[in-house]
Amino acid sequence: MKTKLGFLILGTGLMLTMACMKYPPNSDRLLEDLAVITQYDTKADFNDYKTYSIPNSITKITDRDTTQVTNQLAQDILNQIAKNMDARGFVKAAAGEKADFGVQPIYFQNTYVYTYYYDWWGYYPYWYYYYPYYPVYYSSYTTGMINIELIDMKIVDPENQRLYIRWNAFIRGLLTGTHTTAEITGSVDQAFIQTPQLITTAQ
Amino acid sequence: MKKIYSIIILAFFVMGVVQAQESGGIGFKPRSYYTFTWNTTFPMGDFSDWVNSPSPAGFDFGGRYLVKSGLAVGFNIGWSRVSKIYEDETYYIPEKGLAITAENYRFTWIIPFQAVVAYHLMPDKLISPYLGLGIGGDYMEHHLLIQEYDIYETQWDFSLTPEIGVLAKFGKFSNWGGLVAFNYKWTTNRIEFYKNTSKDLSMLNLRVGVSYIIR
Repeated sequence: MKTKLGFLILGTGLMLTMACMKYPPNSDRLLEDLAVITQYDTKADFNDYKTYSIPNSITKITDRDTTQVTNQLAQDILNQIAKNMDARGFVKAAAGEKADFGVQPIYFQNTYVYTYYYDWWGYYPYWYYYYPYYPVYYSSYTTGMINIELIDMKIVDPENQRLYIRWNAFIRGLLTGTHTTAEITGSVDQAFIQTPQLITTAQ
Repeated sequence: MKKIYSIIILAFFVMGVVQAQESGGIGFKPRSYYTFTWNTTFPMGDFSDWVNSPSPAGFDFGGRYLVKSGLAVGFNIGWSRVSKIYEDETYYIPEKGLAITAENYRFTWIIPFQAVVAYHLMPDKLISPYLGLGIGGDYMEHHLLIQEYDIYETQWDFSLTPEIGVLAKFGKFSNWGGLVAFNYKWTTNRIEFYKNTSKDLSMLNLRVGVSYIIR
């Protein structure tokens, strides 16, 4: 009888253990994998835009400081963004020319506060960046995330000192050191692939 | 499916051997019995579009009372979960202009509440096969986890569960026995995430466990 009871308790324990396995906790939940999240202003007509400007470095923000990254990987990412913009009908503005869109790539590393604003050739320093849509926010940026933004340089709001963002892409896990260049540039491609609306036929 | 059939055939074979060893045993007809079983779920149809792999994470508790000859009525409650990780899938929320491509973890909790009718072909034998039907409902929670986001919906449903199984006493006079059962569950439950709909969720369940038999 004792043996049977032992087996019964053992079996019950096994069943409950198997049955009550929890799903992955927040801390482990796929955070190390690449994730591409994009959002665009659904009211924007991208045919109203033609040219874009893109910096030659990626802004890196950490808890301690803000620096510009110009290494080969940064160049590969910038080139991939430009390549996709070109493929969608946009044209890179000549140096010194005011563009319709300003491309702003920012790399966050262990950063909790989003404070960086690019000085677009001195036009609009310290203005507020405004999302016409309700954007996706991460509670923390801990895994090497890039945010690529398309800032509307055609419509400025001097009264409220606002710059409007028409599209942005969060690529999470991008620069953790665990991904190949092909995976990284592939994620940039994916950001555009999943936004087919980002295209222009403007002449 | 081959695995499922193999398990069922093996279970019947093993029980057949046990019965052969105790042939001639009169046994007793139970007045009632309670079951506690380990449940493995195999999603089918639309449900397998959501999660397409079987899950051993589940258990059931039930009670049955023989009311006439081999006819038993009772209840069944339980808990189970099916889950799977899918790589690099893209979800769109068009009205927000939002798209997400990432690994995602999908799972569904299932909590059934059913009334059960069963007919035991040989209720007084050591090995007692039966045919049953469960009628009731389920509470289900469907979760989609992407990064730190947990998007979920809850659904109640109506469900039918035809079942075949075997109640096997561990001995002529033992109050303990084993239970192996196989059922098909059809429900009115549905999963709706951003215009992707899976409806009339159905599944196969393999139940293996113990039973306490009251004379």
